[in-house]
Amino acid sequence: MSIAPYTADQRDALQEVVNIAMGQGGSSLAVLLDTFVALSVPRIRIVESSAIAETVAQMVGDNTEITAVRQGFFSYLRGEAIVIYGQEGCHDLADLMGYDANPDAAIDQELLLDVSNLLVGACMTGIAKQLGADIGFSAPSILAERCPVYNLFKAAKLNWTHALLVEISFSLEEKGFTAHLVMLMPEESIMTMRDALDRFLESL
Amino acid sequence: MPPRLDDLNLLSFIVARVNVGIFVVDQQMNVVLWNRFMEVHSGRPATEVEGSNLFDVFPELPKSWLEKKIKSVFLLKNFAFTSWEQRPYLFRFQDNRPVTGGADAMRQNCTFLPVNDGQGDMQYVCITLFDVTDTSVYQTKLQEAMTSLEEVSQRDGLTGIYNRRHLEHHLSHEFNCWRRYGGELSFLLFDIDHFKKVNDVHGHLAGDEVLREVAANVKLEAALLRTTDIAGRYGGEEFGIILPGTPLEGALIVAERLRTMVAAAPVRLRDVEIPVTISIGVAQADTSMPDYVRLIHDADKALYASKTQGRNRVTCYTSSPRE
Repeated sequence: MSIAPYTADQRDALQEVVNIAMGQGGSSLAVLLDTFVALSVPRIRIVESSAIAETVAQMVGDNTEITAVRQGFFSYLRGEAIVIYGQEGCHDLADLMGYDANPDAAIDQELLLDVSNLLVGACMTGIAKQLGADIGFSAPSILAERCPVYNLFKAAKLNWTHALLVEISFSLEEKGFTAHLVMLMPEESIMTMRDALDRFLESL
Repeated sequence: MPPRLDDLNLLSFIVARVNVGIFVVDQQMNVVLWNRFMEVHSGRPATEVEGSNLFDVFPELPKSWLEKKIKSVFLLKNFAFTSWEQRPYLFRFQDNRPVTGGADAMRQNCTFLPVNDGQGDMQYVCITLFDVTDTSVYQTKLQEAMTSLEEVSQRDGLTGIYNRRHLEHHLSHEFNCWRRYGGELSFLLFDIDHFKKVNDVHGHLAGDEVLREVAANVKLEAALLRTTDIAGRYGGEEFGIILPGTPLEGALIVAERLRTMVAAAPVRLRDVEIPVTISIGVAQADTSMPDYVRLIHDADKALYASKTQGRNRVTCYTSSPRE
C-alpha cells in the first residue's frame, strides 16, 4: 500500500495535538509520582517496517541492552505502544512508584508493567481526547528483557509496511529515570488519523 | 411478539450474572457494586459488601498497593491492569479445578476501568476480574515440557551425562569467559583403553555397561570437583571434562585421581569381571589459541600420546615437549 505523506497543515496539527497531549500526560504523571517530569518534544514520522529496527536503535542508542513493554490500543486508532528502558532506566522503579524496595522478580516485572501502562495511558488518552475519539487498551505485556535493541523487531515477521511513529523520551531528573515511548500505528490508522486531523483543522 | 426486556434490565442482568467478577468502588474505596461472581467466590453477599469499605470487608487485600493502583486510575482517568503472571490473584478464591488440580487458587487477570458519570467527572473505578486458572495451568505445563525437552537435548541417552553438543557449548562459553576475564581454564579428554576388544569379546551390552560405569565414575569425580566443572560424553568411548579456574597442575591431579579410580574398579557383569583403564590427555587454554576448538585439539594430541606410550596414563599437552 502506498501512503501519501501528510500535508504541511496536517503535520503541524498532529504535532500540536501530540504536544498538548504530552503536556497534559506529563503533568498528571508529575502529580502521581510527585516529581518533575521532563519530556522531549515528540518526533512524528512515517516509517517503513524494514527501517523500524534501525530507527529505534538510533533513538535508544546502538549496542544498548534494553527491556521493553508493549501495550495495544484500539477502537478509533489502532496500534501498539512500546516503552523502552535502557539498562539504567529501569532501576529503582519501586522507589519511583513509592513502594518499599523488593527483591522479588515478579514484583519488579509488575512495576515495569505499571509504569509503562501509566506512560502509555497518559499519552494515548491525551491524543485521543484532543481528536475527540474514544480509546481502549489491552493489558501491557513484557516484549523483551535485557536484550539487544536490534532484536526488538524482526522485520520478516511484521505484517505492515508503513506505520505512523510517535516517539517521546521521558526523564525524571531527581530519580535518575529515563524511558522512551514509541507509538506505532500501521497503515489503516495513518488514514484514520488524516481524517481526524482534517476535522480538527476545520474545528479551529 | 415476545415480551422484550427493557435495555436497563438486560444490562443489569448481564452485569449481575456474567461469569466475570465485576465490582465498583468510589474514591473512598467504598464498594458500590458487587456482582454475583464476586458474591459466589468470596462468600460475601452484595448486601454485606455494598456500602462498606473494601479494605474493612477484606483486610487480607494488599492495601497499600491496591489503593495506590485505584488512586492512579482516578487521577489519570486511565485503565490499569494486573496479570496472573506477576500477581497470581487479587482475591484468594478457590479455583474451578477441585478434581483435576494444577493450581492452589484461582489465577486472575484484572482490569481497572475509569467510570465516567457523563459530566466528565470520575466518581468510580470498576474492576473486572477474569478467571485465568486454565491458562496458567497450561502455561505451567508448557514450561515444564520445555524444561524437560531442554534437559533431554543436553543429555547422552546411554550414560545420562551431558552430550557432545552441550559439552562443546559449555566449553565455548567458558573459553570466552576466560578470554574476557582472565584466570585459568583446563580441558581433559579421555578414552577407554581397548574398548573395541570389550565389545568383541563380551558383546555390545557389556560395552554399554562399561560406558555407563565409567560415566558414573566421572559423575562421582565431578561431584568431588566444584559444581562449575562440566563432564560429558564426547563421542563413542571418549569423554571430556571442563575445568574452569584450574591450571594445568590442578587438572593433572584430577586426571590422575580419575585414572586410578577407574583402574581400581573393574566392571562386574554377571560372572565376568572386565578390567577397565583409561588414557587421558590434558590441555590448558593459552592466549595463542584462536578458539575453544584448539583446546580440544591439544587435549586430543595429549590423549594420543597417552595411547602410544602404553595406555592407562595421563599426558599433558605442551607446545614444546616438557620431558
